[in-house]
Amino acid sequence: MLQPATLTALAILALACGSLLGLARAGSDFATLSSLGPYLARLIVSAGLQAALSALLSLLLGIALALALLRRRFPGRELLLALLTTAAVAPTIVIAFGIVAIYGRSGLLGGLARGLGFEPPSIYGLHGIVIAHVVMNMPLVARALLHAFEREPGERLRLASALGFSAADCFRHLDWPLIRREAPALGVLVFLLCFTSFAIVLSLGGGPANATLEVAIFEAVRFEADFARAAALAGLQLTICLGLAALLTALTPRGRDEAGAERHAPRPDLGALRGLDGFVLALATILIAPPLLSVASGLGALPLLASTEFARAAATSAVIAVSAGLLACLLALLLASAARRSRRRSRLPELAAFALLGLPPFAFVAGLYVLLRGFGDPASLGLFLVPLVNALMALPYAYRLLAPALATSALRHGRLAESLGISGWNRLRLVEWPALRGAFGAAFAFATALSLGDFGVIALFGGGELTTLPYLLANRLGAYRIDEAGALALVLVVSAGGLAFLTQRWSARHA
Amino acid sequence: MNFLGRRMSWLSGALAALLLAAPALAQDRPALSVYTYSSFTGKYGPGARVKAAFEAQCGCTLHWVASDDAGSLLARLKLEGETSKADLVLGLDMNLAAEAKAAGLFQPHGQDASKLTLPVAWTDDTLLPFDWGHLAFVYDSTKLAAPPQSLKQLVDDATGPKLVLQDPRTSAPGLGFLLWMRSVYGDGADAAWTKLKPRIVTFTKGWSEAYGLFLKDEADMVLSYATSPAYHRGVEQKTQYKAAPFAEGHYLHVELAGMTRTTKQPELARRFLAFMLSDAFQSLIPEGNWMMPAKLPAGGLPASFAEVIKPEKTLLVAPETVRSQRRGLIDAWLAATTR
Repeated sequence: MLQPATLTALAILALACGSLLGLARAGSDFATLSSLGPYLARLIVSAGLQAALSALLSLLLGIALALALLRRRFPGRELLLALLTTAAVAPTIVIAFGIVAIYGRSGLLGGLARGLGFEPPSIYGLHGIVIAHVVMNMPLVARALLHAFEREPGERLRLASALGFSAADCFRHLDWPLIRREAPALGVLVFLLCFTSFAIVLSLGGGPANATLEVAIFEAVRFEADFARAAALAGLQLTICLGLAALLTALTPRGRDEAGAERHAPRPDLGALRGLDGFVLALATILIAPPLLSVASGLGALPLLASTEFARAAATSAVIAVSAGLLACLLALLLASAARRSRRRSRLPELAAFALLGLPPFAFVAGLYVLLRGFGDPASLGLFLVPLVNALMALPYAYRLLAPALATSALRHGRLAESLGISGWNRLRLVEWPALRGAFGAAFAFATALSLGDFGVIALFGGGELTTLPYLLANRLGAYRIDEAGALALVLVVSAGGLAFLTQRWSARHA
Repeated sequence: MNFLGRRMSWLSGALAALLLAAPALAQDRPALSVYTYSSFTGKYGPGARVKAAFEAQCGCTLHWVASDDAGSLLARLKLEGETSKADLVLGLDMNLAAEAKAAGLFQPHGQDASKLTLPVAWTDDTLLPFDWGHLAFVYDSTKLAAPPQSLKQLVDDATGPKLVLQDPRTSAPGLGFLLWMRSVYGDGADAAWTKLKPRIVTFTKGWSEAYGLFLKDEADMVLSYATSPAYHRGVEQKTQYKAAPFAEGHYLHVELAGMTRTTKQPELARRFLAFMLSDAFQSLIPEGNWMMPAKLPAGGLPASFAEVIKPEKTLLVAPETVRSQRRGLIDAWLAATTR
């Protein structure tokens, strides 16, 4: 019999491939990409370079940040953690404008530089894209690693203390093995996010030398309505992403068998490396906080928002985001449940999660539309499809947070649970949930906030009944109302931040 | 029969009557579905007033179905194919007109287009313009005292203003500027692009991001519409935003509407198209959509439009030519700007 995890993974892969085939079928004739050959090759090379650079920097800084947060306790630590989650899930257009508000020609730093009498360098170019991507993804890496560290068995830390481990020993024997285990998958996650980035790449790229395949896919779907080509391009992107994911997940070492379960032991190096950690924390805060806090400029325009249209959009957004968040967590748990049984870890759930990152939202939604167009009118289809697609888009994040937690639980309690005959729902409730709660809170916050800021999916179905906050933001920006768009950006960022903060509190209380 | 039973049968009878009556009530008035882009129907767009005005005279219900931008309208219609519920589409970009017609999605509009006040004669019998605007570079006159007087000057002056443009692969005005450059420079367009490139801050995904960056003072000029300054004048009472008139002429942006081949309400759809060219609709366009009305209403233009520049020469490439040459032009642009 098929395991739930395998079943879920196959269903996801079938939906992905089915949507692309459906899209191809809606096209008028057979697509050939050969005429685009050199153009595509250049796109892939430039996107690959950009993504590799973004991923490498995000990974290095994220690891340093996670270690610093692990070793230090300071006032405002919780706020910084919430800020990290917010940066990772904020709508890309908000991040792009945030970067410009700080580093742009008339931004905070640009203005300062000109005040001091020299012309600041332009933010537009590869470096601008990489900065924006690091702002979004360094926090993602740090948050995921922090969760992994917090699951480390306390016995090991106690032993390390008894042996008088120095900070260097701690790193070598405690931290490095964990980083070695988690980093490759996180690296792939970030690489794929940057490889498929779109609005940021065009806003900050400075010219067509910086682009991604997603630009070509958007062009084919939205501008040429050439669905056969869009499907072929999407298939190409999916293949590249899957190939990469397969290669790198294969390099990820397996978790070791852990017997201990005692948690909450203090780290022996708590408070060590004060200088280094202080520097890393300051650097991260300086990099992440200003672009996000720049949305405060929308404060003055908040009164402009008061309207029934806004109230309805906020309510629609909340309903869609919460259902997408819950669905994403549910699907992630189903995928991750593979870790419960198989001693040989199956790569299939992992691949299904990564496949969703390679799937271009515009092509995916258009394909689903074709598959389902016979079944109902677009408006009511959207009501059901928008949360579903948002959940699938957030699934890779939720999976990355939940899967290691479930795997650890399986390693620690799996045999005991089996010998006691606890399985299925009872096992989740009695054995896994207590250990999972922290990660679940984080995954829910991530997925919900991500869906809250989503514009890619709502773009096709939106309007009329289905007006969400990001949709309203785009609408105002398209009607010269930049002040009101700023106020909406503020609402989105504050909601994401508030959600992150609350779930963090909840997770901590139930840890 | 006991009391409860009688009560129940009364209730179910009422329920059935209600269920039967609800659709009947809705069917009293025929419904017309019009696909459009979101800024047309948003809080600031003319959509709500257009709906009220049309419903007052048609005895029908008008439903706006909004996509996020004009580019997605055609894609949506094509995706829906035969199952589409659209009776009309309002907001197609002229550069996609040939694509739309080739896909066989529309049927003849049956309207008299000879009275239109477009800068060009309109002969197409399928798609009908409802508004238009010249593309133009908009600047803040308090910051840029001497804007370029021509496209050639803009391209040649190495110390000239910094620009924010839209990517021609993803945006209608972006593609419009590509055609503008080609109309003025011909085969020399590639060299002109290479010359202009150092002063281009970035090519954004769409008009909104570019205009946003310009308002945040990231560039001295933005590719927009000649009518953009009217918005600042009319709504914000700011007069410093101006469009720079260029000696070679300006490229034309035309927004089109059409009735679908699959509509089940051809009479009503045609009535809407006639209404679209009437004063009631056209007078909502200038300060609702911030574009020029396709057929100037009797009341003329509002005061905020008084200063809108009137280019003497209008540049336009035929939609069929755009369709057949777009790929090649974009490849040439890519090569010229990444050189």
